Amino acid sequence: MKHRAVAERVFGLVLRLYPAEFRDRFGHGMTSAYRAARMEAAARGRAGVAAFWIGVAVDALVRAPGEHVMMTLYDLKFAARALWRAPVFSVVAIATLALGIGVNTAIFSVVHAVAIQPLGFFDPARLVRIWEKNDRLNIAQFSTSVPNYLSWREHGRSFAELAAWRSGTVTLTGTGEPHRLGRMEATATLIPLLNVRLRRGRNFSPAEDRPGAPRVAIIMESVWRDWFGSDPSIIGRSIALNGVSHTVVGVLRDRDLVGTAQVLTPLAPDLSREARADHRLSTIGRLRPDITLAQAQLDMDAVAQQLARQYPESNKDWGVRMATFDDWIVPPEMRQGLYLLLGSVGLVLLIACSNVANLMLARAALRRREIGVRLALGASRLRLVRQVLTESLLVALVGGTAGVLIASWGVPALRAALASSLPRAEDIAVNAPVLIFSLVVSVLTAAAFGALPAMIGSRNDMTGSLREGSRGSAGAQQGAARRMLVVAEIALATVLLTGAALFVQSFLRLQHVELGFNAKHLTTAMMGLPEARYPTDLARQQFYRRLLAEMQAVPGVEAAAMSSGAPFAGGNTGMPLKAVGANALGAEDMQADWRLVSPQYFRTLAIPLLRGRTFDNRETGTHGAHSIILSADAARRFWPNADPLGRQVQLGNKQIFQVIGIVGDVRNLSLDLEPRPAMYFSSEQILWPTMTLIVRSSGSSPMGAVMRQKVAALDPQLAVFNVRTLDMMLQQSAAQPRLTAWLVSLFAALALALAAIGVYGVIAYLVAQRTQEIGVRMALGARRVTVMQLVLGHALRLSIAGALVGATASALLAPVLSSQLFGVSPHDLLTLVSVPITLVAVAALAGSLPALRATRVDPLVALRTD
Amino acid sequence: MRHCIEVRYNDYCYMADSDITRQLPLPPAFFHILIALGDGERHGYAIMQDVARRTDGKVRMSPGTLYGSIRRMLDEGLIDELTRRPDDDDERRRYYRVTRFGRAVAAAEADRLRALLQHARATGLVPRRS
Repeated sequence: MKHRAVAERVFGLVLRLYPAEFRDRFGHGMTSAYRAARMEAAARGRAGVAAFWIGVAVDALVRAPGEHVMMTLYDLKFAARALWRAPVFSVVAIATLALGIGVNTAIFSVVHAVAIQPLGFFDPARLVRIWEKNDRLNIAQFSTSVPNYLSWREHGRSFAELAAWRSGTVTLTGTGEPHRLGRMEATATLIPLLNVRLRRGRNFSPAEDRPGAPRVAIIMESVWRDWFGSDPSIIGRSIALNGVSHTVVGVLRDRDLVGTAQVLTPLAPDLSREARADHRLSTIGRLRPDITLAQAQLDMDAVAQQLARQYPESNKDWGVRMATFDDWIVPPEMRQGLYLLLGSVGLVLLIACSNVANLMLARAALRRREIGVRLALGASRLRLVRQVLTESLLVALVGGTAGVLIASWGVPALRAALASSLPRAEDIAVNAPVLIFSLVVSVLTAAAFGALPAMIGSRNDMTGSLREGSRGSAGAQQGAARRMLVVAEIALATVLLTGAALFVQSFLRLQHVELGFNAKHLTTAMMGLPEARYPTDLARQQFYRRLLAEMQAVPGVEAAAMSSGAPFAGGNTGMPLKAVGANALGAEDMQADWRLVSPQYFRTLAIPLLRGRTFDNRETGTHGAHSIILSADAARRFWPNADPLGRQVQLGNKQIFQVIGIVGDVRNLSLDLEPRPAMYFSSEQILWPTMTLIVRSSGSSPMGAVMRQKVAALDPQLAVFNVRTLDMMLQQSAAQPRLTAWLVSLFAALALALAAIGVYGVIAYLVAQRTQEIGVRMALGARRVTVMQLVLGHALRLSIAGALVGATASALLAPVLSSQLFGVSPHDLLTLVSVPITLVAVAALAGSLPALRATRVDPLVALRTD
Repeated sequence: MRHCIEVRYNDYCYMADSDITRQLPLPPAFFHILIALGDGERHGYAIMQDVARRTDGKVRMSPGTLYGSIRRMLDEGLIDELTRRPDDDDERRRYYRVTRFGRAVAAAEADRLRALLQHARATGLVPRRS
């Protein structure tokens, strides 16, 4: 007896494995078959019973999944046929989803490549970037000096290894034309720290990383390929860098290194020649396995404090800042910007889902008879829900496939557009993780737009729906659901449009920011004179002087100048500075950017000279006058109420300079950063290893070719690099905000169009449903205006509700945007008010088409139909 | 002429003669079920017993195989379900019978097997009947 009860329970459980529909049809028959078979088996003894239960288990495991697959295939076949029979619905729904899923796939491919995919280094979580910082001077991160790096190595306890490098350029000669290559002077610990394997050869030995050691170099694979034809005997070969022979000891894959260097040479730190205040070294470390970033920070804080006590002259107020490689390579604000983009395409997809849900509800209304018949024939509600969801899934999968195709078409363009403004942009691709994302999004999308129609559509009152043309409670529910969806769509579109409006304003403000100089018709080119051929400052200065004279003589050149760095060229040089004598800051120093410039620099860039004079032949040679020109901001900070001319300032290196002129403030680094205090020295006295030639032409024709030609005429061995117009550099600086503004606007336009289609659909359906009522009203003498008002009133009520919800959501969400915006508040009242009004206007316009149609209803026709 | 009707979650068609060949070769389980129903309607367990008896117990269909086959055969229109049953029987028990289309398909399958057997005999693979 007990055995039988257990067996019955097991039979029940086995049946549970089958689809509900199958169970309903055949459950009883199967249970009786099992029961009878068990009785027969029992007659054959224990072995028979055992064989029976094994058979039951095998049967359930093999047959039940098969039935599920069959059921799904039937559903899919049925769904495909249903969609085929409604081509307009299918095309519109699939196209809407393809757009929604397509933009999501494209943006996710960017987010995945830049922010999600782990860095290509071994155990990247333990890799940290280490900077110095100075809170008093408001310097968040700064390079370190060689002596400080060596002290960190000596006293830091948190690192398995530390490595450092100094970036610069070298000229490679002896391989045809001279070429400028990016160079890292790196410690021998860099390659072991990153744990990369060389493509060929070996790393620097510790002995080679010492002063006076034989000169060696590691070249990148691209250099090996491009300049040495992938010569297999490259190891041991001698190459000329800056005219000095170096032995190649290794070849490294380009992507295996941090930064964009093409050649690696040993740093060979020489303490006797390095100053502790000379901050030019980039440092990274690998944390010991038992140490967290926070513990390492504490450790390094202690080291920095100790160094500040030991070397107050150079290290007072300097601390240490650390960040993981993840945060260094993709800064948190950039990450946030990417997730914002992903969020905005998510909103577009939600709107697309609402639209498709709306279409499906309209279709469900048309299919009420069919559903009624099926319910009457005994189909379960669950079955119908499953059928509608299968149809949704099919639409979403087809839409998703089309979306992926759209994305794979758009991604190369996106990659090219982002290459200069995003790290790791070269990895952007529609790859396996992106495809999985698209699949998951498609399935979720199906659930999102299919659930509501499935629930409401299957809740069909049978008798009502069988009577043609009747309106049951399901119809009323559908109406309410559709109106709700439109309100949601308009709310979502409002949020997106608000974001887009803010981004566009932010971008436009950036474009109209006061630069402090005139960027039109300026061309820049960089060069560096190799020490081997230009051993003295005098030789170098003579070269530059001759070059400038040659350039000035070119017809069409208005002015030409040299500088240690052009604005917006990337990179910056700064130094602490204090005023001698009475001043507003007292003995405190101020961090200021510095540039070495030729006398014509200010005229060439059209930077206004506000007081005093620019450099002339008084500032020539090392014995010339120690003169300095300050920016207006720097002068104002020291002497807000006094004449700065003739006053003295002391640099971080103790040298005293006299102020001879005050010039306008200039934005040097980025459009969204306020101009910083700046100081200028004469390039006739001090030179930088690489100098930039800046030429202003009278017309818009670029001067690059002439500049190369003139340099080559003076020295054919000299490499000219980074030839760019300042306009190009400015565009580059605004590339990311431009792209963000452009993309978000595109998404917002898409959202607006979808929302308008949504409103149109609902109002058109409403008009169709109420044709009879409208006919009666008109037969009873209602004027067209009244009918128009009636219909438009619906559209307006829906859109105002949506816009209000959207405006509230925008106001709440706005603070998220604040770090991404420039010159415009995320709570900009004009935007927060005008966007919802725009949406209401667009919605009213979309609703006015069916409203117009309603006014043309012929009462006789309307009363005859239905 | 094709005449389709929709029943529950799937469609099936009474097919023209040309559609019979589309069913061939018939899965063995289908053929066994058609044979079991050849001389009259039966319920599921009776089909299982009949198949086992006819094959001296060599073919024993599991309930999963039986009802999975029945579902597919219903969908294909090879069998159908009786709406009337003996008065004293359990009303939940379902009876099945072969449709005209099912008979046509069974005949075609038998022809196919016969032809196959003749080929096997012609090549001497199988001894001729004495």
